[in-house]
Amino acid sequence: MSQPKQLQQIPPLKNPQYALGYWQKVTLSIWLIALIVLPFADIEIVNFDPFLELTRMVEGLITPDFFATEYLWQAIMQTVNFAIIGVCLGLVLGAPLALIYQHPLISSCCAFLRAIHEIFWALLFLQVFGLSPLTGILAISVPFAATFARVFHDIINQSSDSPLESIDSRADMISRFTYGKIAQVMPQLMSYTRYRFECALRSSAVLGFIGMPTLGFYMETAFRQGNYSEGAALLMIFIALIGTIRYWCPPKLLGVYLVIACVTLIDIPDINSSLLVRFITHDILPPAIANAATLAEVQWSSLTAWFSDLLSEQAIPGAIATITLALLALAATHFISLSAHMMASKHLWPTPLTWLGRFTLLMGRSVPEYILAFIFLMLLGPSMLPAIIALAIHNGCVIAYLAVKQSNAIAPQEMQISRLNQFNYHIMPTIYPSMMALMFYRFEIIVRETAVFGILGIMTLGFYIDSNFSEIRYSNALMLITCTALLNVAIDIISRRLLKFEQTSQVSC
Amino acid sequence: MLTLANLNLHYDKTAGANFRKKTGKNKRSTQVIFDLNLTINEGEKVAIIGPSGAGKSSLLHHIYQELTTHAALCSQRQSLVDNLSIYHNIFMGALARHHWLFNLVNLVRPFKQDLHDIAALCQQLELDQPLSKKVDQLSGGQRQRVALARALYQQQDIFIGDEPFSALDPLMTSRLLDTVLARHNSVIMVIHDRALAMSAFDRVIALDKGRLILDSQQQNIDQEQITALYQTSAIA
Repeated sequence: MSQPKQLQQIPPLKNPQYALGYWQKVTLSIWLIALIVLPFADIEIVNFDPFLELTRMVEGLITPDFFATEYLWQAIMQTVNFAIIGVCLGLVLGAPLALIYQHPLISSCCAFLRAIHEIFWALLFLQVFGLSPLTGILAISVPFAATFARVFHDIINQSSDSPLESIDSRADMISRFTYGKIAQVMPQLMSYTRYRFECALRSSAVLGFIGMPTLGFYMETAFRQGNYSEGAALLMIFIALIGTIRYWCPPKLLGVYLVIACVTLIDIPDINSSLLVRFITHDILPPAIANAATLAEVQWSSLTAWFSDLLSEQAIPGAIATITLALLALAATHFISLSAHMMASKHLWPTPLTWLGRFTLLMGRSVPEYILAFIFLMLLGPSMLPAIIALAIHNGCVIAYLAVKQSNAIAPQEMQISRLNQFNYHIMPTIYPSMMALMFYRFEIIVRETAVFGILGIMTLGFYIDSNFSEIRYSNALMLITCTALLNVAIDIISRRLLKFEQTSQVSC
Repeated sequence: MLTLANLNLHYDKTAGANFRKKTGKNKRSTQVIFDLNLTINEGEKVAIIGPSGAGKSSLLHHIYQELTTHAALCSQRQSLVDNLSIYHNIFMGALARHHWLFNLVNLVRPFKQDLHDIAALCQQLELDQPLSKKVDQLSGGQRQRVALARALYQQQDIFIGDEPFSALDPLMTSRLLDTVLARHNSVIMVIHDRALAMSAFDRVIALDKGRLILDSQQQNIDQEQITALYQTSAIA
């Protein structure tokens, strides 16, 4: 079972003294908002007979077929390869940026790059490099580099300055910095990198859904064709792969794996440079600019028309759907975190039962939201419901997993009260604030994922982006990706302002 | 070596404890040192005594700022790097003597010469722990000696110490004090053991409420005067 250390730190709150009833109000507002947006959301079950599909899926789950997938070994190899090379490249690019992250230009660039989901990056690179490994690696390393830059910068900034004081002031910058600062936070940096590697594995698998030869590709094929035995087997392999990272990839072996990954990577086809040039100079430009030979010929009126059409017909409806879905998912996540925490708390159940609960939590948080949404989509048909369930299960399990860690550390009170009373009067009030804080940190991630669910057919921003890519309207797609990124950045800024949480990084995938 | 004339120090409440401003521009600061005049000559061994809150540490840090290029500081907040070994923490004293490339390589693979030197230094400070042990596993007294060793390993002319022996027993304190005095040309040290200050140092200065009230260079002082200082302060 892997343990994301960075996530284990329950984020510190700036003002731990909350007025009486503060959290009740916050909780009520989450549910009130969810109720208000509910009528606007499309949550009907479209599938005619979900139970038939469900029975077949359960059957598949009971009879997993591990030998059905041809190229299974290659799929696992490529999934791991993309993750390892992607994370290493991300480190190489991101770590130096962490040192100059305080510059507003760098930090806003990073925020923007980070706000674009791996899948959108992959869709972009796909147009230039095709189904080359380069697409997968770059799609992971670009957003990861931006995340590393920000989180490493935060970690270094939070470290104590006092060792620097006692170092001889004549020593050079590099020595002072490595001995006084980097050495101090090395374990945090290492554990965060390990956590991000887990994220990279998830992203790498998900990239299969847009055609990269990773586990996700075979998983999608199997599920779409109704081979649920094969799909279940692939899902189990994937969960096992993530659950056992610490055994098969100790930090010392990372270098060895990197070499293996580079050697066993499928051949990178030659980059068609004319394609690249055409993509940058022609395809991604709005038609009005691309068709004009000189700047003077640009028809400004058609450019504005193009822009306003795109905004009113795709960007704004997409953004509204994205936000609606995200808000509903937030409420559902709240519900799942509370019930999942209850399920695995040692204060309520005898120990063997809590193991079962914790195993369920591990399952829930190991499967990427995207794959969960895909499975529920097969079951319930295309509406917002599968997305809400998927987001709630994944994020709820992540939050509950961390909350259980915290609540199990609380010593029970020496009082003669029943377990349930103890749980409600002592445990819940103690952990509720940090649980809520965690949930608001996950909100940024929920929004990011929500946009991507569009590719599965839910009418969020990703839906419009994906359709534009398939209609070869790259300029529209790029414009919408930019809108999505700006939306994410804006929501991140607003939620931080509103909730007045300390600016600790809690970025994850 | 150092002359302070009419020194006023302010303790900035808004910032951390390590920020002090010389003038009272900031309204939210409290004054800790008032019109202090002090001259310290090269080769002197000076002890600073006084009740707690008298401004000793503030004065000492100010002196360190003035002499920073040829002084080694052993601060009360030991500021060790918990993730590094005893060896690396002590080696931090020598960072200025080497090229950064040497320092980086040393972080991964310690050099024999420095290992040898630091082992000898630890033996002298009665620190019988394996050098590869991480400092977060050490006791308070051991940590204090690592911080002391790091200051000694700077091999400077002047040693500035802020109660560097506070966690050690009296016998070890006097042995280590002898080592420190022998290894440095000038020593300026805040010390809480009044008797030791009187016996081991050339010169004793006493602070109370931010003012210099006793200086053994200008007047002969005896144990009674110092005891009186602590008593009045305790009453007030």
